[in-house]
Amino acid sequence: MAAGPPPTAAQAYRPNRYVSLPAELDPDTYDASPEKRRAEAERLAIRARLKRQYQLQLNNPKPPAVIEDPALLRWTYARTHNIYPTFRPTPKTSFLGAVYALGPLIFWAVAFKVDRDRREKLIQEGKYVRPFSVF
Amino acid sequence: SEMSKDLLPGPYPRTPEERAAAAKKYNMRVEDYEPYPDDGFGYGDYPKLPNKSLHEKDPWYQWDQPDMRHNWGEPMHWDFDMYIRNRVDTSPTPVPWHTMRNHLLAFLGTMLIMFALGEFYPYYRPVGPKQYPFNNLYLERGGDPNKEPPVVTHYEI
Repeated sequence: MAAGPPPTAAQAYRPNRYVSLPAELDPDTYDASPEKRRAEAERLAIRARLKRQYQLQLNNPKPPAVIEDPALLRWTYARTHNIYPTFRPTPKTSFLGAVYALGPLIFWAVAFKVDRDRREKLIQEGKYVRPFSVF
Repeated sequence: SEMSKDLLPGPYPRTPEERAAAAKKYNMRVEDYEPYPDDGFGYGDYPKLPNKSLHEKDPWYQWDQPDMRHNWGEPMHWDFDMYIRNRVDTSPTPVPWHTMRNHLLAFLGTMLIMFALGEFYPYYRPVGPKQYPFNNLYLERGGDPNKEPPVVTHYEI
């Protein structure tokens, strides 16, 4: 079976979780359809409205002491106060919780116990060489 | 904070009206708004933005906050503090990432294997036991100076 056409630059690049595709290789950059233009226009309208709101507050002759950014407040609220109300115990969250919360605890408890028992056994047999360190 | 409840993040949106309201709340288009999947992880209705670091944002645009490359009111990524310019960088690399990873692993693997081989099969020039002069250091080892030392020869003819 003959080999197919060589991989395109975008396929050869293979973006993943750690690197993203450059804009030159992304076919969306070269998409000039009216839908994309309308979407860009709507996004620009939202951006312009937010810019206007910000500039009005910034250039106010009597500016407020702190110009609060609602996006920042929402971000902090979502990361701190909104986790507990929206959390739900599911098989996945329970499994991950057990792995991350109970796993290290149990692992280190067992590790220390086994190490201590081994050392105790050596001491009882009289074979343990006590380490000497000035530090 | 002093914002009303409908301006703060809330639970996962279930109906299209809730999605539209959430998109409006976060200053996004309804088509752009995509919440995190409802897996019970605690994301709520926070939008899922593309995982791109701030390195990729336009450095020449007049941002409201130039160091954070962020505009006032624009929705922030959930991992915003990870993607700042001092930290994680997801900008495209000149060489594909999988190529770099393979090259690194090949180099590290080769070096590890060679060091392990050298550890278990050491190789050095032939050596013999050390030979000391003056009849095997007879006087230095506490031999009697009045007695005749035993003659030690290290060669055979």
